[in-house]
Amino acid sequence: MKKRRLSREKFDVLKELANIGVGNALTSLSKMLNEEKVEMEVPEADLAPLQDIPDLLGGAELPVAGIYIESHGDIGLTILFVLSLDSAYKLISALLPDSQGELDEMGRSVLLEVGNILTGSYLNAFSIMTDSRMLPSPPKIAVDMSGAIISTVIAEARIVDDEVVILKTSLNSQQSNISGHILILPDRGSLKKIFTLLGVR
Amino acid sequence: MQTLKVKIADLAVLRERGILLTVGLGSCVGIALHDAENKVGGLAHILLSCSCQFENRANSFNPAKFADTAIPLLVEEMEKQGGKRSRMRAKIAGGSQLFSYRQSNGVSIGERNIEAVRQTLKKLEIPIRGEDVGGNYGRTMRFFVETGKVVISTVGKGEKEL
Repeated sequence: MKKRRLSREKFDVLKELANIGVGNALTSLSKMLNEEKVEMEVPEADLAPLQDIPDLLGGAELPVAGIYIESHGDIGLTILFVLSLDSAYKLISALLPDSQGELDEMGRSVLLEVGNILTGSYLNAFSIMTDSRMLPSPPKIAVDMSGAIISTVIAEARIVDDEVVILKTSLNSQQSNISGHILILPDRGSLKKIFTLLGVR
Repeated sequence: MQTLKVKIADLAVLRERGILLTVGLGSCVGIALHDAENKVGGLAHILLSCSCQFENRANSFNPAKFADTAIPLLVEEMEKQGGKRSRMRAKIAGGSQLFSYRQSNGVSIGERNIEAVRQTLKKLEIPIRGEDVGGNYGRTMRFFVETGKVVISTVGKGEKEL
């Protein structure tokens, strides 16, 4: 049985990648919200046991909206943007002032577009830093229990390790009080590529 | 009454009484096996259908992750507690497709998981006595070991008894 261990330096590099990428994404979100200030927490990079991942976002049974994008290309990443239902309603109302903020087809397509823009700006930053080509898939959305959403994403990403490298950050918009989480799951082969590209041994 | 939580890629067995609970089944499938005579119940929460593609890739192998390896292991654990395979009956739930896009070959991970669970149960000659599978929503499964009753709850789609 081979245990995978990452050095502290490697975790720091991953955190920095999350930091710059998510920072870029936040600027996009802030623009969408008429320059409202959006804050983020310092990203965490963790080696999380697979079994704990469904509970990472405040309880597996909590209803949330999850927008999920896979990026292929040189580096394989899975990105999940998760909003509490309350924040999802607020975000839809903020962007579609005439709507009721509902999670109907229109509301969902608004969230998909937000997911698209956020991950697009994240991937851009990532791509520039690592000088690699990223090919994101169209975003997908689900509104359901957070555990069901995260475990489905893990299955879709074919993650089979018992411990999963996960980059997590939380964001919060100040006036409209929209808060959400961004989870980034690099696939196994891509970790190695990231470290090689950045010259980390 | 004791409630034992079964996490993702995990399984557990109880005797006589108690509730086996697994939360947030999306494309994953929950498999409840019950031996009514000896009141032995087991619940597994599998993530993927087949260990075959992954055995060499994972840095350690957890059989509870896959349908084809988790169910035989669950049967074995139940037998240790006095269960008998020929008396076991199954109830299954999950295997949904939460996200709107399909896999390129047209079969979702959830569907593949359900199929693998059916095949494995068939091979072990364990009949399926109740199921709530497919669809596009998540499920939580509560398995009452004394009676064999399984209650499925969802977000906004109510409860269902199997």
